Amino acid sequence: MRRLLILLALSIAALAQGPLDPKLLLKSAIDSWPTYHGDYSGRHYSPLNQIDRSNVKALSLAWVYRANTAEAGAITGGEVKQGDTPIWLSYLGPQSIKAIPLMVNGIIYVSMPDNAWAVDARTGQEIWHYFWKTKGGIHIGNRGVGMYNNWLFFETPDCYLVSLDATTGKERWHKMIADVKQEYFCTPAPVIVREHVLVGMGGDSLDVPGWLESRDPETGDIQWKWYTTPRPGQPGAETWPDAYSMEHGGGMPWQPPTYDPDLNLLYVPTGNPNPVMAAQSRRGDNLWTASIVALNPDTGKMAWSFQTSPHDTHDWDAAQVPVLIDGIVDGQPRKLVAQAARNGFYFLLDRTNGKNLISKPFAESLNWFKGVDAKGSPIPNPDKDPKLDGTLVSPTSTGITNWPAPSFSPDTGLLYVGTEQTYSIYYLTDTTNRPQGYGAIERRLATAGNYLRALDYKTGELKWKVPTTGGPQGLLSTAGGLLFGTDGAGNFIAFDAENGHPLWHAGIGTASNAPETYMLDGKQYVVVAAGDSLYAFYLQ
Amino acid sequence: MKAKNACVLFLAVPLFAQMQRVLPKYDPASRDRGKTAFGAACGFCHGQNARGGEGGPDLLHSVVVLSDENGKDLRQFLQNGRPDKGMPAFNGIPEEQAKDIATFLHAEVLGAVTARSVAVNIVTGDSKAGEAYFNGEGKCKTCHSVTGDLKGIGSRYDPVTLQDKAIMPRGGTGFGGPPPGPQQHVMVTLPSGEKFEGALIRLTLFHVTLRDAQGMRHTFARNGDVPKVEVKDPLQGHFENLSKMTDKAMHDITAYLVTLK
Repeated sequence: MRRLLILLALSIAALAQGPLDPKLLLKSAIDSWPTYHGDYSGRHYSPLNQIDRSNVKALSLAWVYRANTAEAGAITGGEVKQGDTPIWLSYLGPQSIKAIPLMVNGIIYVSMPDNAWAVDARTGQEIWHYFWKTKGGIHIGNRGVGMYNNWLFFETPDCYLVSLDATTGKERWHKMIADVKQEYFCTPAPVIVREHVLVGMGGDSLDVPGWLESRDPETGDIQWKWYTTPRPGQPGAETWPDAYSMEHGGGMPWQPPTYDPDLNLLYVPTGNPNPVMAAQSRRGDNLWTASIVALNPDTGKMAWSFQTSPHDTHDWDAAQVPVLIDGIVDGQPRKLVAQAARNGFYFLLDRTNGKNLISKPFAESLNWFKGVDAKGSPIPNPDKDPKLDGTLVSPTSTGITNWPAPSFSPDTGLLYVGTEQTYSIYYLTDTTNRPQGYGAIERRLATAGNYLRALDYKTGELKWKVPTTGGPQGLLSTAGGLLFGTDGAGNFIAFDAENGHPLWHAGIGTASNAPETYMLDGKQYVVVAAGDSLYAFYLQ
Repeated sequence: MKAKNACVLFLAVPLFAQMQRVLPKYDPASRDRGKTAFGAACGFCHGQNARGGEGGPDLLHSVVVLSDENGKDLRQFLQNGRPDKGMPAFNGIPEEQAKDIATFLHAEVLGAVTARSVAVNIVTGDSKAGEAYFNGEGKCKTCHSVTGDLKGIGSRYDPVTLQDKAIMPRGGTGFGGPPPGPQQHVMVTLPSGEKFEGALIRLTLFHVTLRDAQGMRHTFARNGDVPKVEVKDPLQGHFENLSKMTDKAMHDITAYLVTLK
């Protein structure tokens, strides 16, 4: 009996709050969701199948957590001083949860700009709330927290990396990533690889340099920095006209990277070059902007790079998820990386060396490229650069798709992605030799069809599409044959992953992040955010 | 082109610049004093507008400038200069003058980031070719008449708005586009044969909502093809042109519409 009690006590302890076992990061998530995509692959796929096509009709609400942003009662931090003028503070008003929460040992960790919470994953009850008093910055979103041992890490709009004790929500330390005065703002979810906290940033209003950095999870000290543009004399410098343009060339890595533990390579998608749309001061391809770059996480050294948008002039960064697929091509097992890019191209690369296998538009409306070069990168049509009297271009700067996580199911071999076919007229406004910031304006005109699309990963061919109201969306596929997503019109939907037929839906408001799933007490939960609330579903 | 065709474009980018924004305010008198002092002492190397000149870099991108607060850091920097790069020391620069110069530079940075408009002529097309497009390939006259609904349209809108509307009158995909145009029309036929029609409010995989001629709102659940839902878009012709539209045709049609005074 005593032995039984000890066993029982041990098993309860195992389910209680506590540190993250690093081994969980190296396999598909089952009873946790320990990193941004659940695992390092970026597939946003779960092997769980308790909820499947046959029973999903019975999916019902377990709980709702509405994010409490009140400063009162929160643990607070921040560098702002009484009487300080806010710096570049914008995008205020109601915030939505764009973060993909972590779930570790029965606790959910979720964030919004300036806020982080721990929530009981069984009940939806708040455990603690951390509130960061901001100096300013662009409050466009926060994509989540990272976890190492019992420590949490998240980035703030005024570009600090904050580390919290996961048990108490108390701050361990915070470190400045970049200076908000230079128009940097920070949204990414830190990704943790062994003893490396990988941190990126955003900001393209002021032609500042971008980089990815690695920090020590214990001390917060910088281990390495990798700049997204070269400096004179370095490889890639030949794709810029001069030192000034590359040093002010942007390329913000604001999408969390994916990682292959066997190859020990990070896959970092980089942002657009600066100045954003007036490009006369940066003739050339502008490496390593708008690229998928493979880096060694221990050193920050680049292994290879593939550019998705050479000499981009429409804000089409490559900050979409590089999805790691172990597939078969021409009968041979291959290690692949796929990306449905903002410019409307589907790319499939060999992730050992970056060699291109497929470059194919995945929307019909694209009108900006002349062809594809020998390396597989699209060749932009200079006639479609912004002009004084306007150029009609599809897509808009928001892209055919954007940052929300697509999903790849190894069961169906399909990559699922939310898309919109939009048009803008782009007017060049800064004709000087040294344009600044954007240097052009955009008039958004129309969308000619939004769809959830399923692409054959081997060819990029469209297998099916479902019309939606919104465009880009976060998606989750499961071994239950399901694809969880949204119609962009307020419904959270379970689709049949084979053919896109809707099998179940709930009108919770349009999902604002990508759904996730995990097992808890023998039940499979599906958790998604809509606006300021998290919704958990299970089979009762 | 003549200046009378020039118009003002309102900045629609960046996305976040559209949002409510708390921006710093600068004392205009201090800024003006700073501008004069800067022009005299710094303008030769850095340009009168601080965007770079004879050998001196663009200061709107300078980390020293961006990180400065009220001239404190800048004054310290100026007192030492950067002799290795040919920047002289301005030893003994008064605190007030450093502050004025800093105010001028910070205001210039703010101006670069928040620039809202530019005067530019966008009417570059061939109005004759635009007329031919209107009556021919564009099939515009199927729905429109230059003596009817489009009479005087060149006087009603500035050329930028006119160009927007010629391509897509609906807009509404975000910021800076034209206001929403004609709504879609929907006919819903129930299994009983009963029909409802009106302006389409919302169509999802699960529901259709319309507003009928009496202003009544109706929502019906959808289950696959039941009830039957038929949508007609008065802008169908615009959508058909959109995917084929060249920039030349766009500029020609704008040039033609501008003449419809």
